[in-house]
Amino acid sequence: MASISFKNVKKTYDNGVQVVKGFDLEVADKEFIVLVGASGCGKSTTLRMIAGLEDITEGELWIGDRLVNNVPPKERDIAMVFQSYALYPHMTVYDNMAFALKLAGESKEVIDEKVKEAAEILGLTDYLDRKPKALSGGQRQRVALGRAMVRKPAVFLLDEPLSNLDAKLRTEMRSQLAHLHKKLGTTFVYVTHDQTEAMTLGTRIVVMNAGVIQQVDTPRNLYTKPVNKFVAGFIGSPTMNFSDAVVVEKEGGVWLDFAGYSVKLNEEKAAVLKEKGYIGKEVIFGIRPEDVYEYSDYPEKEKAENASLTAEVDMYELLGSDVILYFYVGENKFTAIVNPATEARTGDTVKFAFDVNNMHIFDKETEYIICH
Amino acid sequence: MKNKNKTIDTVWSCILAVASVLYMYPIVMILFNSFKQERAITTNAAFKLPTAETFAGLENYVNAVASKGFLQSLGYSFLITVSSVLAILLFCSMCSWYITRVQGFISNGLYMLFAFSMVVPFQMVMFTLSQTADQLKLNKPWNIWIIYLGFGAGLATFMFAGFMKSIPLEVEEASMIDGCNPLQTYFLIVMPMLKPTMVSVGILEAMWVWNDYLLPTLVLDIKKFKTIPMLIQYFRGSYGRVEMGPMMACIMLTIIPIVIIYLLGQKHIIKGVAAGAVKG
Repeated sequence: MASISFKNVKKTYDNGVQVVKGFDLEVADKEFIVLVGASGCGKSTTLRMIAGLEDITEGELWIGDRLVNNVPPKERDIAMVFQSYALYPHMTVYDNMAFALKLAGESKEVIDEKVKEAAEILGLTDYLDRKPKALSGGQRQRVALGRAMVRKPAVFLLDEPLSNLDAKLRTEMRSQLAHLHKKLGTTFVYVTHDQTEAMTLGTRIVVMNAGVIQQVDTPRNLYTKPVNKFVAGFIGSPTMNFSDAVVVEKEGGVWLDFAGYSVKLNEEKAAVLKEKGYIGKEVIFGIRPEDVYEYSDYPEKEKAENASLTAEVDMYELLGSDVILYFYVGENKFTAIVNPATEARTGDTVKFAFDVNNMHIFDKETEYIICH
Repeated sequence: MKNKNKTIDTVWSCILAVASVLYMYPIVMILFNSFKQERAITTNAAFKLPTAETFAGLENYVNAVASKGFLQSLGYSFLITVSSVLAILLFCSMCSWYITRVQGFISNGLYMLFAFSMVVPFQMVMFTLSQTADQLKLNKPWNIWIIYLGFGAGLATFMFAGFMKSIPLEVEEASMIDGCNPLQTYFLIVMPMLKPTMVSVGILEAMWVWNDYLLPTLVLDIKKFKTIPMLIQYFRGSYGRVEMGPMMACIMLTIIPIVIIYLLGQKHIIKGVAAGAVKG
């Protein structure tokens, strides 16, 4: 078991491209930390630096109480599950799982016991004599997990391990991974670009963009209290609606004026904007699709009157349990997750209400949060 | 459309059937003549099937094996072929691994050199080579493999590198994390995955070395060491006399091992040559 500590870790490739720009993070022992971000944001490179597969250009990386910058992969007490499984195709499932133990000089009895125990946990007992090519994608993924498990490493590294599986299998494996983490009680570092995986698995999530950490927080806080517009837009599906607006003080309150509409803010947000001197200035506001209601469904109609707008429905999408309505606010496309019983259809003019309590307001220039 | 395809197939079958007859004819001729008496080979009867009068049974084979140091030459041919092929397989596959995994000026340059070596005709370098081999004392059956390694490296490296590119790097990284050092990664992970290419390169190189006449003739001390192709030449006696019967038998005995090896590994040749052409 081990904690991981990044101290201003940087990675620059030979061609001068810096992919990780000063990474500072403390991963606690037994934590399930998820690195999430768009392709090319440096999350896989960061994971590979922990594994020792990439050199660290600058900074310090500690696993437990050991500085591991120059420690080779095999001496880091880590195990890694790759996106492509990376099984040894010429070996059986048993041999794949036993390989690291054989190299470590474990006795045959110990190897046999550990491999069979891992196979039992992962439901691979019947497949131990098979070669990887005779297994399905899900089974291969479990072999890759088993290969990592038998070593009982201090840190488990997983690089998009579910991305090659179909949607159903991915959901199954996701819950298996969560159980595994609980059972093994090991530190897990998990890389994904899938926010559902990140939100469901992570104790904490690290959102990265262009080699820089944007926010490190619990899944709930990331969703409800994003620190900037990037995080707010990255986490959540459908994504948060954004629009530029001007903060104005009128009719005894603070309002956001945007695209010909006006929305009155609640007292807390009004106080913060006043205090920080945003009256008369441009900001960006964001609101999640589930906080945009059809006016008729909004629970507190008297409050909704000052936070409503009328727009034409651009597209209607039925998802089964929900309906998504798309409409334009100025040039910005907005989405609203509404009651599936709605009668609104494409082309209808609908009155929408915003739940201003859940609006997020960002600085126009820095895109950092002003108030939630 | 279906009829047209059928016609094209039939035409191709006929052309290929004629081509195979042309290819097989000399071998069949040698086979038949190896069972004939000497006088039947050297007359017009050479192109006829053995008859009761001309049939010699296994006499030519017995004579071939018993005379002219056949078994010794067979031993030299085996030694040279096995040592050369093993050296080519080991060193060229390791070299290809370096070229494929360590991208840079040196490895790219090396790869170009190997590719270029395939287009240099042997005749261009053979005299300087024989001089160099003499100077370096590489003119013995137990060290001529070094020269074969040089001449076989081009094709072998080219084929190995092509296949190596299709092996996912992640497999090697996984082995490093599992505790392998580079040599263990190579011998325990990479080499077993190269099996199809190993077999095909091995067969192609074995056929070349086993049948090679020119290089051993130029390099080896002819008085002491003769490989099988060299020995066959020595069935020609003085004053142009040729012992045709034993010569034919000897040729047949020479062909058999390499044909067996080829038949055993032919499916791997196609696999190996095609491997690396597309990303798996």
